[in-house]
Amino acid sequence: MLSIQGLKASVAERDILHGLDLEVRAGEVHAIMGPNGSGKSTLAGVLAGRETYAVTAGKVTFEGEDLLALTPEKRAVRGVFLAFQYPVEIPGVGNMYFLRTAFNALRRARGEEELDAMDFLALARERMKLVKMDPSFANRSVNEGFSGGEKKRNEILQMAVLEPKLAILDEVDSGLDIDALRVVADGVNALRSPERAMIVVTHYQRLLDYIRPDHVHVMANGRIVTSGGPELALELEKRGYGWIEKEPPARPAAVEARP
Amino acid sequence: MTLAEQSFADQLEKGAAGVEWRPTGEPSFVCALRAAGRDTFLRTKLPTLKHEDWRYTSLAGLAAQHFGPAARALVPAADLPPAPRLVFVNGRFAPGATDLSGLPTGVRMGSLALALRERPAAVEPFMGQVATARDHAFGALNTGLFEDGALVELEDGVPCAVTLHLVFLTTASGALFAAHPRNLVVVGKGARATLVESYRGAGAYLVNAVTEMALGEGAQVEHDRVQEDGQQAFHLGLLQVSQGARSRFTGQSIALGGQLARVEARVLLGAEGAACDLHGLYVGGGKQVLDHLVYIDHASPRCVSREVFKGVLDGASRGVFAGRVHVREGAQKTDASQVNSNLLLSEDATVDTKPQLEILNDDVKCSHGGTVGQIREDQLFYLRSRGVSEALARAMLTWAFASDMVQRVGPEELRVRVRRAVTGRLANGELLREVA
Ligand SMILES: Nc1ncnc2c1ncn2[C@@H]1O[C@H](COP(=O)(O)OP(=O)(O)OP(=O)(O)O)[C@@H](O)[C@H]1O
Ligand SMILES: [Mg+2]
Repeated sequence: MLSIQGLKASVAERDILHGLDLEVRAGEVHAIMGPNGSGKSTLAGVLAGRETYAVTAGKVTFEGEDLLALTPEKRAVRGVFLAFQYPVEIPGVGNMYFLRTAFNALRRARGEEELDAMDFLALARERMKLVKMDPSFANRSVNEGFSGGEKKRNEILQMAVLEPKLAILDEVDSGLDIDALRVVADGVNALRSPERAMIVVTHYQRLLDYIRPDHVHVMANGRIVTSGGPELALELEKRGYGWIEKEPPARPAAVEARP
Repeated sequence: MTLAEQSFADQLEKGAAGVEWRPTGEPSFVCALRAAGRDTFLRTKLPTLKHEDWRYTSLAGLAAQHFGPAARALVPAADLPPAPRLVFVNGRFAPGATDLSGLPTGVRMGSLALALRERPAAVEPFMGQVATARDHAFGALNTGLFEDGALVELEDGVPCAVTLHLVFLTTASGALFAAHPRNLVVVGKGARATLVESYRGAGAYLVNAVTEMALGEGAQVEHDRVQEDGQQAFHLGLLQVSQGARSRFTGQSIALGGQLARVEARVLLGAEGAACDLHGLYVGGGKQVLDHLVYIDHASPRCVSREVFKGVLDGASRGVFAGRVHVREGAQKTDASQVNSNLLLSEDATVDTKPQLEILNDDVKCSHGGTVGQIREDQLFYLRSRGVSEALARAMLTWAFASDMVQRVGPEELRVRVRRAVTGRLANGELLREVA
């Protein structure tokens, strides 16, 4: 589904990603862990098309198409979704209007019929229940004055409404209380399917107890330095990242084996 | 005085001298006001950039034009607001388009020129008594040359629930001309009213409007001023308000049209406990210059003034906002705040914003603030990452910036109209179907 080869990217003249490779197949969940500043959010931003990052080398294909050639909105139309580490507040734009506009923009671009306000509201209400979001949030401005946890829930709500093929979740667990973590994880799990894939960026094993990954990768200095199964996350939880630098990592076999 | 300016003044003088409405038999107080107005204008001349009030807005483009007297015109088929409404075309009363049905008892509304003929005593105590700005070139010009306008009177204690509409249509035809509508609004003690002034037109012309408004003790007025003049027009508007004790004035100025448009709101908080709440939105494109000057005279204790003005500027347009607050010596416990925020949508758009506080006593609370910004990249990316096209995302963010000013327009049908007019002026505003 997603194939990243030799990806290098810089921001403000500074190289952040130094040749990153990753293969994600439909149905898989990949966790990406790694120390602060290692480039996880940069990778997520590059995949979603943020123009502040300059791609300097490498290739990214999504379902056979050159992802890097597409605008952010076209990527969304193809089914790429990024749950932001820091969701953006947009005063003056109503949450429900925003969601409906996005939903219908995707439908229109895909040649599907748009939903009117009433039908959409019914759909959104149902998805809001899924993430246990109070209906009053529908009438507020996008993320404005939302608490940290409420913003994360709102990201998951958007994902549940837009039903992407590839969801990139950048620290959806940060700032969540224990109940909210469960709600968010349930929301993510409800979306898991053989046609969808997910890249879950997190610092904590805790989230991975709820969202079982198929593969775990460790990023450091703008590369994936080691990969493994769910047990790798447990080991990181116990030992931190220091050992990876001391014991040169095994080639991430499961991931780079294919051409 | 440059040659160009001379030609402007000359044209106006000659034009005014030649037309048939030339005051014959006007009451002597009007003759005196007119004479003083003309004298003032001929002395002040057209203000240049050296003039304190005109430092950021050049009148060179206006001065170069030759304006004649307003042409006679039929009422254009414009979608008129509901009754009760007074309609003026090219500065003249249009009885056919006027509809005063539903006017509550205790409220009078009609032609000022007619009232000057039939009952001048009702006008004399107010006319020229509110618009007292000294050496005000355009105010003086209007006084010298006005042909007609609205007279609105509310008796003491009348709670007028219907919206009173004043509509000023201008239709350009051939030669350039100037119209000088003159309005007087007298609101009795404790009376309440919602009043809308709409300026609409197409083509090139000059509208130089003056509205004088006197609020009695405890009166409450909401005033919406919506300027949709032609894109080639010059629009000059002076709104002068004098407030009685504990009166409330809420004003909205929506400025959309004109190649050069200046609105001046001058509010005298002349008695204890008066409050005014002024808002404005200017949306410019092309080479438009949209200028607001707000002057609040805190002349009495315990008065409150609020100003929130926003500008959206695209193309090579230019916004100007000057907010003056003058707190006089005796005006203890003054509470004044002023905010001017601007969104620049293009590299060539500019804004000059200038707060001016003159505070002559210690017992005050005054604040001012403002921003000049652009569409935020992170917000734009957030919307686009959800599938919203860049064009729509920009339109959404622009509307998000401006919409609270539109929401403040009280009368529902006017708010809908303004919303359409504003979104209609935004790049890709037609994509905002759902909000408009
Ligand atoms: N706009 C920017 N300007 C300058 N440096 C930036 C910018 N954006 C990111 N960086 C730098 O790029 C590096 C990688 O940042 P990134 O946000 O991708 O890290 P991360 O792995 O997501 O970290 P965290 O776990 O703390 O979220 C950091 O050193 C960061 O300071
Ligand atoms: Mg990050």
